[in-house]
Amino acid sequence: MIKTVNLGKEYGDFRAVRDLSINLREGEIYGFLGPNGAGKTTTILMILSILRPTMGHIYLFGEQLNGSRAEIRSRIGVVSEKQYFYPEMTMREYLDFFGELYQVRNRRQRIGELAERVELANVLDKRVGAFSRGMQQKVGFVRALLHEPELLILDEPVSGLDPMGIRQVRGLIEEENKRGKTVFISSHLLSEIEKLCDRVAIMNNGRLLAEDRMENLVRRLTEESELDIELAEGKPGAIDELEGLDFINGVSIDGKFLRVKVKTDQDYRLDVVQTLISQGHVPVGIQVRSMSFEEAFVTITKENISLLAKVDS
Amino acid sequence: MDALKLNTIWVLAKRELRSTVYGVGIYLAILISLIISSVILQNYLRAVSRDRMLITASPLSYPLFIATTICAIYLALASVTSIARDKDMQTLEVLFYGPVDHTSYILSKYLKGLLSYIFIILFLAVYFAVASITSNLGLSVKLPGVLLLSLFLTSCVITFGIFVSTLTESVRASILLFIGIVGGLIAIHVTHGMLIKMEEANLSPPLIYLRNTLSIINAGVKWASPFYYLTEGMEAASIGSVAKYTLSAVSSIIYSIIALVLSILVITKKGVKKTAGE
Repeated sequence: MIKTVNLGKEYGDFRAVRDLSINLREGEIYGFLGPNGAGKTTTILMILSILRPTMGHIYLFGEQLNGSRAEIRSRIGVVSEKQYFYPEMTMREYLDFFGELYQVRNRRQRIGELAERVELANVLDKRVGAFSRGMQQKVGFVRALLHEPELLILDEPVSGLDPMGIRQVRGLIEEENKRGKTVFISSHLLSEIEKLCDRVAIMNNGRLLAEDRMENLVRRLTEESELDIELAEGKPGAIDELEGLDFINGVSIDGKFLRVKVKTDQDYRLDVVQTLISQGHVPVGIQVRSMSFEEAFVTITKENISLLAKVDS
Repeated sequence: MDALKLNTIWVLAKRELRSTVYGVGIYLAILISLIISSVILQNYLRAVSRDRMLITASPLSYPLFIATTICAIYLALASVTSIARDKDMQTLEVLFYGPVDHTSYILSKYLKGLLSYIFIILFLAVYFAVASITSNLGLSVKLPGVLLLSLFLTSCVITFGIFVSTLTESVRASILLFIGIVGGLIAIHVTHGMLIKMEEANLSPPLIYLRNTLSIINAGVKWASPFYYLTEGMEAASIGSVAKYTLSAVSSIIYSIIALVLSILVITKKGVKKTAGE
């Protein structure tokens, strides 16, 4: 759906984006993460042909982008962090204008339906410039969805929304994805990305640090995870058996609770449980304690860039 | 040009035209132009009652020229500020999220300018028809031709304004640049006109050198000034020279095309975003 190959953007000596190669597959929700100044918005603007790349290539819907392609952009819906309106227009006039621009059939009806979905139907005839930030963001969503785009590009879409608004927008994104739309979300709100996305890309200083499923990223970044195991009763000997296994880095026991540190190269839960059972222990509960996505993000962007580079190589 | 682009041009122009028609600026420009035309006409009528005669081929041509020039200046200013305002408000970027591209955007501005002028012509035509009937000053058969030609001539002014607007990032800078360019052109034209009328014997060597230099500069830059085409065209229409009339219309079209192409090139090169993103 979106593919970039060695994409780069330079402003004089400053390299806003460098050697960026990402691949967004059809039908997925793809998170584009990074701290402020990472190069996320610059990348999006290059994808939309608003900024011209200084190097690399962009492919949209399988076609290489050469210059500004209006007909390709008309297959995309875009919501930016902040919405910009013509102050003299009402919400209905604004959406009608964009509906006509995108040649939307039955646009009056479509505007009504979408306004209902975001609970703004009662303010359709009010001036959109006077709306709150959250309401404006929702109007931006309606504008982006009017023409039934195949691809949604969302740059900080829940910025400025209250928890209710965030929930509504999340619902909209999930619903549109279920209807077959591919979604590309740039955000620094990790909780939102975690709830929505199939795969994520993490950027820092204009560079792609990682692109994978979230659980894979977490696994790649942690050398060990912890298993909290509850035994039916505390019996001696459990630690000795487990400590002899090569995938175990350490075991501690507190009554009938065991904490086992295991390597993360594969799932060792079954091996641990089988070992315990063979020694006459009865595990009644097991829980994996691994790094949260937020911890992984911080690790990737702040502390562990070199580790990631090593893993990547 | 494909259907998508044509639709884009029309929808963008329609929105802007609607905004213009519902605004006060256009009516203010029409009002000022008609007041000044009325003053000129009143002077004509006073001269007739005092001297019992008025020797002119077309008494309404000059007031019409003044009215057209005032409205053209309004349209030039509207064009000058429009792109910069879109950039300022960042609505330009939102348009480019969709099916709008540089060509359709610039052409929509041009179309909006022309439609605005047609709207103005309706007022001018009614005014001059009423003025002719009430004052008994003859409504020349050339008047429709003059009004039609004024559309071509105003096209030069509009495209010049659009081009200036593509060069700047803010409304204020656009207006200042426009005033600077037009002021410079007028200053060259007026100074040259004054020097050319003076006897060479009365001029010192530096002034003769200045006059010669300005003659060369004026010959070159007058082609860049949209107001040159307006003046030449109106003169051609008032003296009724078909050849000059045609030449004026054709040169206005060529000027407009060049200005539009340059505008598209500049906005494509500069981009639609005011500053870089993250």
